[in-house]
Amino acid sequence: MKPRPPAMRAKRRYILARILPYGVAWDQKQVYLSVIEAATSLWGDAAIGFAQPAVVFCDGGYIVVRCRRGTEKDIATALATVNAIADERAALRTVATSGTIHALRRRMKPIRPLSEAGEVKFGETYFTVYRYPRQKVDLVEKGIKHQKSLFFTEVDLEER
Amino acid sequence: MKITDASIHPYPVGDSTLARMALEAAGLGFDSIVAIGDVGHRPDGPEVLRGAVISAASQKEVIRQVREPTVRRADVVYVNAGDISFNRAIVTLKGVHVVRNIHATRRNAFDHVAARSAAEHNVAVDISMAPIIQLRGTKRQRALQRYTDILSLQRRYGFPLTISSGARSILEQRSVRDVRGLCALFGMTGEEVSEALSSIDRITQPDQPVKVVR
Repeated sequence: MKPRPPAMRAKRRYILARILPYGVAWDQKQVYLSVIEAATSLWGDAAIGFAQPAVVFCDGGYIVVRCRRGTEKDIATALATVNAIADERAALRTVATSGTIHALRRRMKPIRPLSEAGEVKFGETYFTVYRYPRQKVDLVEKGIKHQKSLFFTEVDLEER
Repeated sequence: MKITDASIHPYPVGDSTLARMALEAAGLGFDSIVAIGDVGHRPDGPEVLRGAVISAASQKEVIRQVREPTVRRADVVYVNAGDISFNRAIVTLKGVHVVRNIHATRRNAFDHVAARSAAEHNVAVDISMAPIIQLRGTKRQRALQRYTDILSLQRRYGFPLTISSGARSILEQRSVRDVRGLCALFGMTGEEVSEALSSIDRITQPDQPVKVVR
């Protein structure tokens, strides 16, 4: 199929968002489903049909959402109402909006744990410790599914 | 002008410690936060105010709780809204700073009489982002209706508003930009959002007549 000439294509905008919590490998389709659910619930089918949101990138704790130009504010607001991805608690933090994915790639700063994961015990529960920059410490309950997460700082962990 | 998140619930109520939530709030554009409950050691970074929530069925109970030492130590005192007569009474009480949970009350529970009294006594009404973020369908629609109603009363009578995330986790905290977008859902302008985000200082330290210090 011959592609449309550039002048006849719909203008797009791309929204870069960071996914919380860090260190989870999110599935792009599951992220898309969560974004669409949140956006449709907030703005309705007609508005979202017009905005055509799509998750075009999902890696390294970041996603890029594509939408029609002029609807980016509405989609960014809808991203703020996402509170779960694939039944796991999550949040999307809008970082920037641009006309090209290339410009957004420059804003992506990979968020990786600082050192090897450790282990800590609270009461009867064992947690895996992931340390991130700015003294952030994420504790993930050891288990197979629906593990509890706690969000501490280095100082909090030392005080316990 | 300090941009304040008017209520967060740190660990052990939530899953994130106060220090972590303060760190996150600073990254999201807030200058100060109000932590509900026992604050303990105040972390570095944004200013942390101590908040106390009073949940009572009658005005007498509120008066009794306001006098309790834990509430007196708090920088900001919140009272959970109730029925129409309760709300009219609590906005006149000394020591009450903010009426919260207004989205959970019946329609017209906060009416023009309560609005006028709130404006006279400099008592704020809290707008929580939690119902807009967490709820879906009719429950969220009802919360948005309630906020629209509060906003129209605020424009008429001029009582202060506060905006809170009501977050129990860093996953429930939202940036100032997100808050602006969410508040636009019920017709709040950018200026009104800025004023509401910076109103905590004006409520806790109202303008006083100038005193001569010798």
